[in-house]
Amino acid sequence: MAILDKLKDGVQRELEGLEFVIGWEQGYDPLHASPLFIRTPGDIDRLIWNPLCVHNLASYLPSLKGRRVGILLKGCDSRSVIQLLQEGLIKREEIVIFGIPCRGVVDLSKIKSRIDTSQMRAVSLMDDAVVIEIPQGREEIPLDDVLATKCLSCQYPTPLIYDHLAGEVLPPQRPTEVLYKEVEVIEELDVQDRLAHWERELDRCIRCYACRNACPLCVCQDYCAAESRNPRWLSQRAGVSEKVMWHIMHALHLAGRCTDCGECERACPMDIPIQRIRRKINKEIKELFGYEAGVNPEDTPPLYTFKVEEPTIQEREW
Amino acid sequence: MRIGVFVCHCGTNIDGTVDSHQVAEEAKKFPHVVYATDYLYTCSEPGQQEIQQAVGEHDLDGVVVAACSPRMHENTFRRTIERAGLNRYMFEMANIREHCSWIGEDREANTHKAIELVRMAVAKVANHVHLHPSYFEVNKRVLVIGAGVAGMQAALDCADGGLDVVLVEKKSSIGGRMAQLDKTFPTVDCSICILGPKMVDVGQHEKIKLCTYSEIEDISGYVGNYTVNIRRKATYVDWGKCTGCGLCMEKCPSKKAYDYHNEGIADTTAINISFPQAIPKKATIDPEYCRQFTKGKCGVCAKVCPLGAIDYEMEDEIVAEEVGAIIVATGYGLLNMEELGEYGAGRYPDVITGIQYERFLNASGPTQGHVVRPSDGEEPKRVVFISCAGSRDASLDRPYCSNFCCMYIAKQAILTRDHIPDSEVYVFYMDTRSPSKGYEEFIRRAQEEYGVQYVRGRVSRIYPKGKRMVVRGADTLLGTQVEVETDLVVLATAATCAPEAEELAEKLRISYDEYGFYMESHPKLRPVETNTSGVFLAGACQGPKDIPAAVGQGSAAASKVLSLFSKDQLESDPQIAQVMELRCVGCLKCADTCPFQAIEEKELPDGRVVGHVIETVCQGCGLCTSICPSGAIQLQQCTDNQLIAEVEALCQAWRERSSG
Repeated sequence: MAILDKLKDGVQRELEGLEFVIGWEQGYDPLHASPLFIRTPGDIDRLIWNPLCVHNLASYLPSLKGRRVGILLKGCDSRSVIQLLQEGLIKREEIVIFGIPCRGVVDLSKIKSRIDTSQMRAVSLMDDAVVIEIPQGREEIPLDDVLATKCLSCQYPTPLIYDHLAGEVLPPQRPTEVLYKEVEVIEELDVQDRLAHWERELDRCIRCYACRNACPLCVCQDYCAAESRNPRWLSQRAGVSEKVMWHIMHALHLAGRCTDCGECERACPMDIPIQRIRRKINKEIKELFGYEAGVNPEDTPPLYTFKVEEPTIQEREW
Repeated sequence: MRIGVFVCHCGTNIDGTVDSHQVAEEAKKFPHVVYATDYLYTCSEPGQQEIQQAVGEHDLDGVVVAACSPRMHENTFRRTIERAGLNRYMFEMANIREHCSWIGEDREANTHKAIELVRMAVAKVANHVHLHPSYFEVNKRVLVIGAGVAGMQAALDCADGGLDVVLVEKKSSIGGRMAQLDKTFPTVDCSICILGPKMVDVGQHEKIKLCTYSEIEDISGYVGNYTVNIRRKATYVDWGKCTGCGLCMEKCPSKKAYDYHNEGIADTTAINISFPQAIPKKATIDPEYCRQFTKGKCGVCAKVCPLGAIDYEMEDEIVAEEVGAIIVATGYGLLNMEELGEYGAGRYPDVITGIQYERFLNASGPTQGHVVRPSDGEEPKRVVFISCAGSRDASLDRPYCSNFCCMYIAKQAILTRDHIPDSEVYVFYMDTRSPSKGYEEFIRRAQEEYGVQYVRGRVSRIYPKGKRMVVRGADTLLGTQVEVETDLVVLATAATCAPEAEELAEKLRISYDEYGFYMESHPKLRPVETNTSGVFLAGACQGPKDIPAAVGQGSAAASKVLSLFSKDQLESDPQIAQVMELRCVGCLKCADTCPFQAIEEKELPDGRVVGHVIETVCQGCGLCTSICPSGAIQLQQCTDNQLIAEVEALCQAWRERSSG
């Protein structure tokens, strides 16, 4: 049975005990998928599964605490759920997880940088290619060329937590060493150049907070410290210093929690490479605490606990 | 807001490298400042009067004093402005002494920095709000950790003052180091004869609850309300039944157990009572040597015990005690002499430590007070003492003086000449330190009446020659090398912190120095207090000290507890964290992070869950405020906005400077 059929079958069986199940449906054009809330068996037919299903649906879960819902998760998305469980922001018994072994999703901006999609007529998805029909003819793009950056170093193609798995467990197939490649390039720069680099990148920020709103772990949302008067961390001035400050704030609030799902960068309308900032912090956390967020529900995020002695940081001889 | 700024010269402490007058003049230009002045000693009575007067005359509602560290005088000035009718928390201190004048000598740069520090303090006060303390009950019980002479004295003084005392001791008997000693200097009276009555007093005092063979598992709470979990280690003997008859010791077939009381110079039985005067006089099984534990069968003690007190199944027990204050008197340890390779310590049986020699001299020791050589049991005719074995030695990273060695060497030298009249005694020393009453006379007596030969110089090497040892060293007074052939060498090994002192300090949340000795709150003026409210120090855990000093500190710590407990209620500091419930998203990361478990979950009438700070438990450390993503939890008088205002003030200063 194909993955989609298995998913539909599973949702069909579980739907009765749930308020709804969150999945994906075809979006407003052939290249876009949209989140789908399946409330009745009649909605199930609209469910789709393909490399366009990019959204991390876990972002909905914190606001649904206290309600019984089902959710479709890719491997990377499942880490967000584990992290939310670790932090007590959702309850395991309230959610039913339909896991999907995933070979990667596309980064639409990579497609758009290759061809003009404004006139496209149809899109068909093959195993290893995306075929787009445009007035000039038929464009076939190898899938590997347009996969999201996170997929190129994916170590968790199969969800780490699930109630139903649609398909077989998929072992990791991507090299780990590329994970921090972009970070390392920036680390090479001296302090002045690094600041200049980030001021240049972040100056594009329009402080729309799409990165925050898309983030599954930004649980404050409407109470975000960036938009509060008391405490008043940021002014309304549209200068680069305020923009940098916002991104520092966002990065620090995610230190030791970010699961590298990349939703921040995907949601950014200004193509700011936000995920690089996240990865830098993730790298530091891993080096300092030997910790990777969202892998084991029993873990405690290293910055959200108090220990007199950190086991990974040798401060004393004993 | 109307703020007054008072800049202190502190004599020349500040004014020597900071232009205090100019600081006051500049302060007049800052927003909200309506009055600024400088004064020679702001903390003096006229200095304080000037503040009080200015508050009235200029209708001030906030005050900044630029002077020393708030640790010195913050409370002084808070009381000053309170007398003038202001809320005592409408106050901020700019530390322009420790943080400024004492650091650099460049007067212009220092003045500049002082102005900026004042500017930040003004910006902070402008965001201050009135705070009011609340009050909480005090549990008037005290925990004393360690039942050596310092801890016993503290326990007795507290108990005599009417307090309930829980006295916890790691060993099976109280008494500590002093119970191991033969005689005490400079009076040469029998140690256990003077300690014994005190031990009996402790054992029989109805206000003292003894927990021997016990250790501190963990501590939570705060001054006035600590909860202490005590691990009562398994003795494998029901102490409710044991009468200390000693029959088990006579019959125990395992006779090679390490004898801690005798410092390993003899063996003891696996089941033992550590010494005849032990309190409580109860037997304990050492499972490391007991055949029932090592071989799985024996059971002799269980058979011979007339009261059936033996219980091989016994397990450690955790007992919780609620107390209001804690006195730490955990004493000291001794340097493992094997670290002193050049002295052959540990390799040659006839090189021993001072405390081992003490057990040879002691009538209740394994040799009944006859001094013998460990190698062949013969009486030594010549004994060499070496002082500073590991102390005052930068190469061993132990530069401090162990305090009591000079005196006990003199005592042991005198006793040696007493026990073996035809013996010769040498002492190699760096300096002799004898500053207390009767001490110098005592050393002179050793030299002049007892003919002890003092050689000033360090020993470079000790090596065996036939049945004897050769001590080679320098005589720095004669400027020659000396070699002394001897029967026995006694090392005055360095006093160290007690074993596991650091772990206990972490549980108590008190500071310790790089050698593991506990830090007093002020080296001169608060010698038995710690920086954790309600925790006090007594004895050698704070640094090596002799018996009179340890006893004095025990009494001092007790008097601190008694004065703390003289009030029924204590004032809580209102400078603590507070949750803005409207902003709280209920993620409770604050609760997970709080080192004091001061934050609990609270459900609002609308069902929303938020964090809630337990006022008396919060210590105001601010960890929660740095972790709260929405900024909903704020430390009073140190809010995000106040810190931002300070940073803004500093940036403003920089902007003004760079624009000329």
